Amino acid sequence: MDRIGAVLCSGCGIGDAVDLDAVAKAAAGSGAAATLIHGCCCSADGLQAIRDAVTERGLDGVVVAACSERAKRAEFASLGFDAAGMARVALREHCTWSHPAGDDDTRLLAEDLVRMGVARVKNGSPIRPLSPEVSDTVLVVGAGRAGLEAAKTVAGMGHPVVMVERSGLLGGHLASQKSVLPEEPPYDRPHDNPMPGLIADITSCSGITVLTGTTIDAIAGQPGQFRVRLSGPSGRELAVGAIVQATGARPYDARKLHHLGYGASPDVVTSHELEAMLVAGQVVCPSTGAPPQRVLFVQCAGSRDDNHLRYCSSDCCTATLRQAYELRTIDAAVEIAVVYRDLRAPGHMEHLFNGVQRMAGMMMTRGDVEAVAVVGKPSVQIANSLLGERAVVDTDLVVLAVGMVPNAADGELVRKLHDARRDAEHGESAPVRADAARLVGELAAHDGTEILQLGYRQGPDLPVLAYGYPDSHFICFPYETRRTGIHAAGTTRAPMDSAQAAEDGAGAAMKAVQCIAMARRGEAVHPRAGDRAVPDFYLQRCTQCKRCTEECPFGTLDEDAKGTPELKELRCRRCGLCMGSCPERIINFPDYSVPMVADMIKAIEVPEDFEGKPRILALMCENDAVPALEAAAANGASWNPWVRVIPIRCLGSVNIVWIAEALSRGVDGVILIGCARGDDYQCHFIRGSELANTRLGNVGETLQRLALEPERIKVVELSHAEFDRVPRLLDDFASSLAALGPNPMKGL
Amino acid sequence: MASTPAIHPSADFLKAFARQGGGAAARCYQCAACSSVCELAPAGAPFPRRQVLWAQWGLIERLLADPGPWLCHQCNDCSLRCPRDVAPGDLMAAVRATVVERLAVPAFLGGLVGNARRTWALLVLLPIAFWLALLAATTGLVAPEIHADMAPLEGRFHYEEVVPHFLIYIVFTAATLWVLIAVWSSGRRFWRMLGAGARREGSFFGSLIPVVIEIATHRRFARCERGVPKRRWGHFLLMWGFVGAALTSAILVVYMYGFGRYPLPLDHWVKWLGNLSAVILVAGGTLLYANRLVPGDRLAGATSAADRFFLFTVLGVIATGVITELLRFVAVPPAAAALAYVLHLGIVLTLFLIFPYSKFAHLVYRTLAMVHERMARLTTA
Repeated sequence: MDRIGAVLCSGCGIGDAVDLDAVAKAAAGSGAAATLIHGCCCSADGLQAIRDAVTERGLDGVVVAACSERAKRAEFASLGFDAAGMARVALREHCTWSHPAGDDDTRLLAEDLVRMGVARVKNGSPIRPLSPEVSDTVLVVGAGRAGLEAAKTVAGMGHPVVMVERSGLLGGHLASQKSVLPEEPPYDRPHDNPMPGLIADITSCSGITVLTGTTIDAIAGQPGQFRVRLSGPSGRELAVGAIVQATGARPYDARKLHHLGYGASPDVVTSHELEAMLVAGQVVCPSTGAPPQRVLFVQCAGSRDDNHLRYCSSDCCTATLRQAYELRTIDAAVEIAVVYRDLRAPGHMEHLFNGVQRMAGMMMTRGDVEAVAVVGKPSVQIANSLLGERAVVDTDLVVLAVGMVPNAADGELVRKLHDARRDAEHGESAPVRADAARLVGELAAHDGTEILQLGYRQGPDLPVLAYGYPDSHFICFPYETRRTGIHAAGTTRAPMDSAQAAEDGAGAAMKAVQCIAMARRGEAVHPRAGDRAVPDFYLQRCTQCKRCTEECPFGTLDEDAKGTPELKELRCRRCGLCMGSCPERIINFPDYSVPMVADMIKAIEVPEDFEGKPRILALMCENDAVPALEAAAANGASWNPWVRVIPIRCLGSVNIVWIAEALSRGVDGVILIGCARGDDYQCHFIRGSELANTRLGNVGETLQRLALEPERIKVVELSHAEFDRVPRLLDDFASSLAALGPNPMKGL
Repeated sequence: MASTPAIHPSADFLKAFARQGGGAAARCYQCAACSSVCELAPAGAPFPRRQVLWAQWGLIERLLADPGPWLCHQCNDCSLRCPRDVAPGDLMAAVRATVVERLAVPAFLGGLVGNARRTWALLVLLPIAFWLALLAATTGLVAPEIHADMAPLEGRFHYEEVVPHFLIYIVFTAATLWVLIAVWSSGRRFWRMLGAGARREGSFFGSLIPVVIEIATHRRFARCERGVPKRRWGHFLLMWGFVGAALTSAILVVYMYGFGRYPLPLDHWVKWLGNLSAVILVAGGTLLYANRLVPGDRLAGATSAADRFFLFTVLGVIATGVITELLRFVAVPPAAAALAYVLHLGIVLTLFLIFPYSKFAHLVYRTLAMVHERMARLTTA
């Protein structure tokens, strides 16, 4: 933008704490074409004053130096600027609430903040929103409870649905189940299987096309514009706007549970085998064909076990309670024992637990089942019983409550396998080929697991989170995956029971429909929902290093044969991780770019005299760290006045050149504050913190070559709730820099 | 304890246990709130959490061989705090009843008394019928004659004319011997079971003396936190009332044969002792029964059929005893007094005979458990 107005608000005590005339002078000095000071910018009068100034002075951008961008959103949005044309500078939170009024340092901070705002708008260019043609159809993959519920919900919102199911029947596992967990008060007994009704709803709905015996051959494109090729008898091509993957889960393979007697005795069965007997109405010991007098359920059979499934499969405890009830309905005299590690019956399932526990002849006890001896009748050996000693239970029939394994492919590993296979044949040297061949062996289990067959550079299926479940962020964004427009639901997303799967299906359906609507407007989905700016790739200078295509957490970028990135903008979530990754700095957004932040850094006035005024740059994640800082300010905290905060979209968007820029201009230290990484990551863009850490690790060595201490750069993980910790972090960093002495590059 | 226990929650055991009041054991999720609030549980062998688990698991042998239930005085603090409504206090009572039933000699009598809900009429009527038959076969069923020459405080007639003393001696001496043998056999079995796997120190009698003092003063009751004052004093009065009644009977025998005095006038000190004992018994029994009458009160605890039968038997003995005594001085047909006397003797015989199989048996089991507690040093373990 060329003609920028700097609007300074003196309301909320800002004007009393800082000499705004001086700040206005600083703004003008940094190139603002006009300045305006108003006592209450967010009032109708204030907004009108800004509009008048814009018209009179022919402004194409404004800096609103008032409160946080989290405050008064609607008011300032009414000015009509797009995200590139207006910068909100939080003078109130970052300066006057948190620093002493009338102080020189406070004024200098305000001046820098406004100069940075001007630099930001100056570097912005108008956003040209996309308006793509999109399909309204939602593809639902899998016809279990989650899939059927998703289809029903999508159809209910007036969108066409195409449902594909690999098997010949609808209903998934539930179709062959006697009952489900209680779904209505008083929640103390099983609920009739809802599947027949649900299947009837689906098959009678005109908006839903059901294709059984069908799998997916290929999916290409992006949200709103997926092109799906189906295989199977109904083979055809269709255009869909969004996809719900509800491919469910399968029981853990009990043949691996030899220590629990499976396979060694016919009288050790899985919960699914028992279910079949319950449906048939007759439960017998397979060895004799006679009804058992005593039945024992072994919980966590293969779950929460380092040698098998490391996670809790979530529904086996309640499934056992349900089966015990059904068993008792068939045979009122049978003695039932349940050996559990922690009987997990959350929420209303407590009532089922109570109901079942009070049945006569029911015993539930805690313990680890070490082994099931199968000489003659099964004898279950328990360790860590509640008496702290071992115990033995003899029984007629053992039921293993086996866990669940998602029907999902690890898209990234499948891709790795394909690459390794290619390298094993065509690798440039013998060692490369040998390494690749070894990798092929290691990844053999992923061979042929593809479900969605995505034509994405990063792999044919969704990336998985812990334990092979394709989830994106289990707390904040359920149903979202790391592939925009593809939503996981039900037991393929996380272990859950059937009622939860139903809720999941409905949730994913709403996300899918929402995604189509946003794609039509060219908007990003969460967490930058509504962002209409897309990154621009200046491909003439691309070196095909593939960092962006590999590092994008959302698989936005495909590659041509040479490795040049191909942007699929409707997949993009606008995190800027590609921008941070590019060594050529050719990836930029109209409202967020490498030169923009570099200019903001240049706008910081760095005094040459260190003793008086060191300068510290804080690049802080706008999702967690900045709100935490502002919460600290709102709570009356204050921090070192020499810190200059630049909110960034994600630590992953930090281009190393910014750090170099800051240090070369004499800034004494740079602190980067982002979200937690690792298994329990909190990064909204999944890999941002992790990537920043890797990239900065490499910078440390460079610094040492330049005779700069690596301690001048610090990366910190912070959660949204830790607002009390932020000021301390900044102060501690400031004092550690004081110990290092001034940046030797100062004044050069 | 060394062997790996075989868990078998058999339906039969659980049904029998539920009958005794332990039906809620299955609800327990072993949080141990009960054991941690209990003031009486020895540090080295806390109860009642483990006992609840043993009951869930059907480990009867362990329940039988455990001193815990007998050290419990059922203040019901645990039942008050239990988040699952297991009522561990009642469960401990059920364990005690189960032990009494299972260790009974001969076993079938244990079952007969344990099943009082169904057998109570038999248990009451049989001894009365026995007396009637005995009298018919020996002296005949006769009403006493009115003796005008008796002093007013001696009453109007002699009950000896209804039932000769020698019959009473024969019957009750036989009954006492029977009780002693039964109690001795059960007690010995119990003592051995308690001792298996435990190391005892010191002599039996060395530990018995402080235990007896503790029982005489009801000191242990005082350590319970709540709900106990009423029960403590009820039980205290009842126990001493029985002691007084027993003492009166013994002294009477001495007077009759040592001094040839019979009948004793109502103002004689031995009669005073007997009547005072009766008053104390009535007071104690009433207090205890009143405690149980608050419906749904967790501190009151549940009353099983066997409990109720026992309480009614005790109250029956007291009531018929007092009535029999009063009828000596009231102008009613002597035949009515004779009937009251026979009824009284019948119910006293019931009380005697059920001693080893009823709540009375706790006199033996609890005392043994308390001696064992001292000798095995459970409190300091």
